[in-house]
Amino acid sequence: MNIPVDWSVVGPAVIVALGALVALLVDAFYSRRTWLGSGLPASIALVWAGIELFRLHDDIVPFTFALSLVILVGTLVVVVASNVMNFENAMPPGEYHFLLLAAAGGALMMVAARDLVTLIVALELLSLPSIALVGLRQGDQRAIKSAWTFFLASVVSTAITLMGVSLLYGVAGTLTYDGLNAGLSSTDLPDGVVAVAVILTIIGLLFKLGAVPFHVWIPDTYTGAPVMVAGFLSSVSKAASLGAVYTLLVVALPAAFDTWTTILAVVAAVTMTVGNLGALRQTNAISMLAWSSIAQAGFLIAPVAVVTRFGPKAAVQYLAVYVLANLVAFAALAVVLRLRGSTDYSELKGLARTDPPTGVPLVMAALTLAGFPPAVIGLVTKYVVIRPVIEAGETWLAVVMAVNVMLGLAYYLKFVVVLVDRPAIDDPYRSPSPPVSIRISKAAVLIGTAGLVALSAWPDLLLAHLP
Amino acid sequence: MIAAALTIPFTVGLGLLFLRKLVSGRAAAGLGAASMAVSLVLLALVWEGKDTISGEVDTEWIEPLGARLHLGATAISWPFLLMTAFIGLLCCVWLIAGDTAPALVGLVLIISASSLGVFASLDFLLFFVFFELALIPMWFVISWWGDPHDSAGRTRAATRFLLFTVTGSALLLVGIVLVARDSGSLQFTEIDGGPLVAAVLIVLGFAVKTPLVPLHTWLPDAHSKAPTVGSVLLAAVFLKLGTYGLIISSGLLSASFADVAPYVAGAGVVGIIWSALACYAQDDLKRLIAYSSIGHMGFVALAISTMSPIGIAAAVFGSVAHGLVTGLLFFLSGSLKDRFGTASMRAIGRGLYARTPWLAVAFVFAAVASLGLPGLAGFWGELLSLRAAYEVGVLDKPYAWTALGLAVLGVALTTAYFVRAIRLLAQGEPVAQEADRDLAVRESVVSVALVVSILVLGLAPGLIVGLYDSGSTVTYEGTYTAVTP
Repeated sequence: MNIPVDWSVVGPAVIVALGALVALLVDAFYSRRTWLGSGLPASIALVWAGIELFRLHDDIVPFTFALSLVILVGTLVVVVASNVMNFENAMPPGEYHFLLLAAAGGALMMVAARDLVTLIVALELLSLPSIALVGLRQGDQRAIKSAWTFFLASVVSTAITLMGVSLLYGVAGTLTYDGLNAGLSSTDLPDGVVAVAVILTIIGLLFKLGAVPFHVWIPDTYTGAPVMVAGFLSSVSKAASLGAVYTLLVVALPAAFDTWTTILAVVAAVTMTVGNLGALRQTNAISMLAWSSIAQAGFLIAPVAVVTRFGPKAAVQYLAVYVLANLVAFAALAVVLRLRGSTDYSELKGLARTDPPTGVPLVMAALTLAGFPPAVIGLVTKYVVIRPVIEAGETWLAVVMAVNVMLGLAYYLKFVVVLVDRPAIDDPYRSPSPPVSIRISKAAVLIGTAGLVALSAWPDLLLAHLP
Repeated sequence: MIAAALTIPFTVGLGLLFLRKLVSGRAAAGLGAASMAVSLVLLALVWEGKDTISGEVDTEWIEPLGARLHLGATAISWPFLLMTAFIGLLCCVWLIAGDTAPALVGLVLIISASSLGVFASLDFLLFFVFFELALIPMWFVISWWGDPHDSAGRTRAATRFLLFTVTGSALLLVGIVLVARDSGSLQFTEIDGGPLVAAVLIVLGFAVKTPLVPLHTWLPDAHSKAPTVGSVLLAAVFLKLGTYGLIISSGLLSASFADVAPYVAGAGVVGIIWSALACYAQDDLKRLIAYSSIGHMGFVALAISTMSPIGIAAAVFGSVAHGLVTGLLFFLSGSLKDRFGTASMRAIGRGLYARTPWLAVAFVFAAVASLGLPGLAGFWGELLSLRAAYEVGVLDKPYAWTALGLAVLGVALTTAYFVRAIRLLAQGEPVAQEADRDLAVRESVVSVALVVSILVLGLAPGLIVGLYDSGSTVTYEGTYTAVTP
């Protein structure tokens, strides 16, 4: 069997995969096993892949290009901020970087996939390393439990997707997106079968996005995983699934538009509401972000559910800002967790006053996610994401989104108030002199925040150029 | 110049927030007052006449969305701008005291500057950004510096205020997107009309802020728990964001706004009657003033719903007059609360004429201005509203005249409860208390400034009404010309 491979398109993914191998090898033969030893090749691979991506700019669909860029930048931020785990004996750096880059490679493949087998392989390439990453911390019972939850949910949803894929193959006789598009357009197909096939197929992807009713694994997994892994799952993994869902629906299944558009619109509405309601009750920053990431997934699905000329642009722009803000928040929390041992609200009280370099970025990230000035970019992307929904005439969904903006603000504001409150103790604990690796993580946080501030001042930077 | 009028208080406010440890409260408030004074002067000088957009600034902002940094003063927004800067200035003067927190001054400046931004915006998205920007600072003002005797209550009040307003503004955002889709533009100068859904959502959004019954339930708590300057800003400036929004949307959406106008009128009139009745039950002076605000805003809503030139004049006049009069009332009730630790009229006791003469006189002046004594500012707003309802505008005649009758009844009820308050506080047998102190210098300055401005507007209503001579084509297309019959 001859499988054609378009090397120019998979270039970035291959480079990232190579980087993964190099990181693992360096770690194996470099006896000191420092974080930088494998982190450096990983970062270089990501930057190189980025350069390659820009070189291929003209050959790639703008939507795929933008998502790949988000994935690469997001992974790079995760790699840099992961330095916070340096000298943590339970975390093996080589394996960590290997798994992380393998998953990133899977994510890149997922958004580039134009046939269902590639999609499934890429989905697994993203999922399996992610599961291992969640349970990577040695001797951590909680992490292993989380990994199990993640694993079971992941396997079940992939199995369901495979059923859908086989049904689609049975109906259309092909697995390439273009073939499916042509095959499903013919009129003599039983509607019911096509509908079932489509729904089953997108379930696996909705699971990755954390959409209701496939969201239950998220809070458990995020809180048990190392913080930066949770950051990776909530940003890069979501970007990949969003890209895959969109490409699959628009390129392969436009014929079944009526089936999935209603379902996705309802899923979007329910997802954002459930996520926000869940987040309202949290008193730990990471659980709050976990639930809020479910709600944000709803906002991501909404423009995809209604295919209009603004839809894909809106989703990507919203995603880019969400990824940046979320990674800033997770990275800052990773630093807090390392220095203080907890991310409960009681521990974070007054952080913006006692430790501005981590507290202020958290405030900025929360306001961006809430879509509230002074984080103008958050507000603007809320506008951007509501626009296609209005354009498609789904005003009810827009109103649900509006109500959810209010719900979201309720808990983001609570978080902001905790951060800027008067500190509980007058003389808070300060790390004597934070090791270099923590400074690197803090630098990542500050650069990300600077990005958010710059985007708030000039939203055009993002909106005019992406995708 | 408009840009400078916004950025100066905004920058000073941010500076005070970050450098709050380096300045004393007195110095901070003085600096704040100076920056608001500069802003006020700039805004006054910017005026180029009622037929154009004064001091227009129009630069690129978010190109893909068609949003621009578009600022300017129109015949409708200019009175609001001046009133906001003036109230902001007086709030800073009020804060020139030993125990003021510099951060509070910073927040007051940021709130004032954002509100100025709302009034100066000629781009709907920019308008919305400013509209939201003022909210979180206000949350902190209420929750951190509010009623010192009830820390749980003030946080609850602040959160309820914020969530109500944000729900409204989220609906407003959806409405803005709808309008922008239909008109293909976000500029006030280019928007013409929008679908009915948009009008419903936008009116709902502004109705929460105004507030119109039954969306007013956040208001009494927020006003009574806020610190003095917070109450003043809420009443004088924040409610005006709602009425100003209704005024401009009546012009921008003309046809579809006319469809919802009867409901606006109905909610306004119900508010007038209902709040007047609620006022009888109040013992807390700040709550009483808060409820009376709902009534005044009812008159403004009634005026707007006629969508006639005189209605617009009434709405602008009523809003500005309410800002000055209720501002004064809240300043004075703040004085009382500072002295007696409570705003309960029973606890403060009777006979203030004898105990604190100047404070009592100022309070009575503000109260009679608020109940609409001819010759003072409050009178013209109500009179013009009634006149607008009499002339019917876009409403049905029986409907408008019923509303008119109820509003007249409301005028009588308003008079009655203010007279009750005057009797309970100012008149009667004085029972001296230890805390009896007459107005301090800063309080006198603020009171005199407001009393003078209330008199000026009351004696020369043409200052504002003249901006809306019938037949003149004011402001940008849409707002006012569209409603001229």
